[in-house]
Amino acid sequence: MGVNYLDNRAKIYASSDFGDEPFHSLLREETTVQAVSETPVHKKAKPVFRAVIQATYKENFAFRSNMAVSLIVQPIYFLVQYFIWRAVFQVHDTVSGFTFQTMLYYFAVSSLLGFLNWDDTDGTLQRLVQNGKFITFQLRPIHHLYYAFFQKVGHRILAFWIEMVPIIGFYLLFGIKPIPAMPLWAIISVALSFILAFLINHTIGTMAFWLVKTDGIRRAVLVFKDICSGIFVPLTLFPGGIQKVLFFLPFQFISYVPARVFMGSYELAGFTLSIPAIVGLQALMVLITYLLNRLVWFFGIKRFTGVGA
Amino acid sequence: MKTSLASRMAYRGDFFMSMIIMMVVELFGPLVTLLIYHNGASFPGWERHEVLLLQGTFLLSRGIAFPFFMGMVWNTIRRVQEGTYDLLLIKPRSILQMSIITAFDSEDLGKLIGGLLLFFYALKSVPALPLVNWGVFLLLFVFSLITMFAFGLFMTGLGIVWVGNYRIYEIFISTMDFGLYPRSIFTKVFQSIITWVIPISLLGSFPASALLGKEMTGVFGAMACSIGFLLLGLWFFHRMARNYTSAGG
Repeated sequence: MGVNYLDNRAKIYASSDFGDEPFHSLLREETTVQAVSETPVHKKAKPVFRAVIQATYKENFAFRSNMAVSLIVQPIYFLVQYFIWRAVFQVHDTVSGFTFQTMLYYFAVSSLLGFLNWDDTDGTLQRLVQNGKFITFQLRPIHHLYYAFFQKVGHRILAFWIEMVPIIGFYLLFGIKPIPAMPLWAIISVALSFILAFLINHTIGTMAFWLVKTDGIRRAVLVFKDICSGIFVPLTLFPGGIQKVLFFLPFQFISYVPARVFMGSYELAGFTLSIPAIVGLQALMVLITYLLNRLVWFFGIKRFTGVGA
Repeated sequence: MKTSLASRMAYRGDFFMSMIIMMVVELFGPLVTLLIYHNGASFPGWERHEVLLLQGTFLLSRGIAFPFFMGMVWNTIRRVQEGTYDLLLIKPRSILQMSIITAFDSEDLGKLIGGLLLFFYALKSVPALPLVNWGVFLLLFVFSLITMFAFGLFMTGLGIVWVGNYRIYEIFISTMDFGLYPRSIFTKVFQSIITWVIPISLLGSFPASALLGKEMTGVFGAMACSIGFLLLGLWFFHRMARNYTSAGG
């Protein structure tokens, strides 16, 4: 269902200039920043992270109609889900602890998290390695990890206005108010899921140092991630044995955990944890993924030749 | 097809992995169905294997459509964006034919394999079916392909004028999702829309119902609508092709 959607979105950015053009824009921006800082006026240089966020925002603003397609697609996906679960709940009051209303709420929150967390860092990194343009990052005063992260921030800020806000309005028509039960914990959890989704994608992109073309492996991980993160169905619907495996994987922290934090209760594989406890586990998983990313990068970067393939 | 396969074989490992993933991705819809039935819930009036058969039919239709003619959408969008669509226009063949034959997508064969696997898996749980059911099923399956082709024509036509927007695919694929579930789960209004306006019911629900010998209402209307949809698609595609500017984007 949604995989085609995500897969296609990856293809859009593969074929658009998102992968290469922002770098040129940024180079221009950085050059300007440096030039300005060297003038006698001593005007303060714009921090690199802000420059990256702004450049990405402006770049993608030109392609806002691409993003706005979500305003047609997401309501259709939601309507399909609505009809599926409406039919199911006609003969059952609850399914795996969910009522019809909580199921719709889960899907609404999970889709919003999907918009917020989406990025094509893996694809962009693969294309840079494949065509050799990654070499420019060896010369820049910012590590690719942070550069890509701030690109994501800029891109998602735009997505917030263009995709998320109107879709929240659509959900309100169904009486779904995506207001978290515990707002502070929800904000922390969403922020952590944003970072975790990025780190996982970046780590997958790093595989390009070994494989050069990583479309296959990226799709494989994307599929696995989507199933295991609970984007399509709440993870408690899976058989008990699978839930136990899912509990120990990092993917539940991308969508399932923040969605449950929004709902104010967490349960998976028979484990019922308090919200602070599960958010703490989520923070730990972000740290572990970050360390894993650094380790993979450490070995991967040694293989980069700058020639392309 | 041969050239497309040969160029894809340059990254053989990636090709096979992509194909397997395409196959796995197709099984997402059925996974939701399996989980629903696993939790003791159900779609009213439909057994688990019946829903899987419906979804197998839908995926089989998609599995034929995507590698063999849906590639024209990507092909056209990319060529229009690059400005190389002109190369197809100067060939001594129809532009539609050229758009299809230069777009064979070998990776999408995974979708076909996924569809076949699910269809035959679901069929194992179905008791022996009369030959007439198979005959009606095949007829409706042809109409399912006609509907898919019409979808492809609309997407390709849009791809000519909406330069560089690959998300056109998503609009249609999300719409097609209505065909992945029994028609009876939708409200009367939606049932009418997916039968009489955009014949999505023909993609899975009607052929599977015919095979299982279930009652069908509005099937002739849907078949007529499918032909109308195809003719409209052809008109739309040629109308949009006339608007091609060669400017790229």
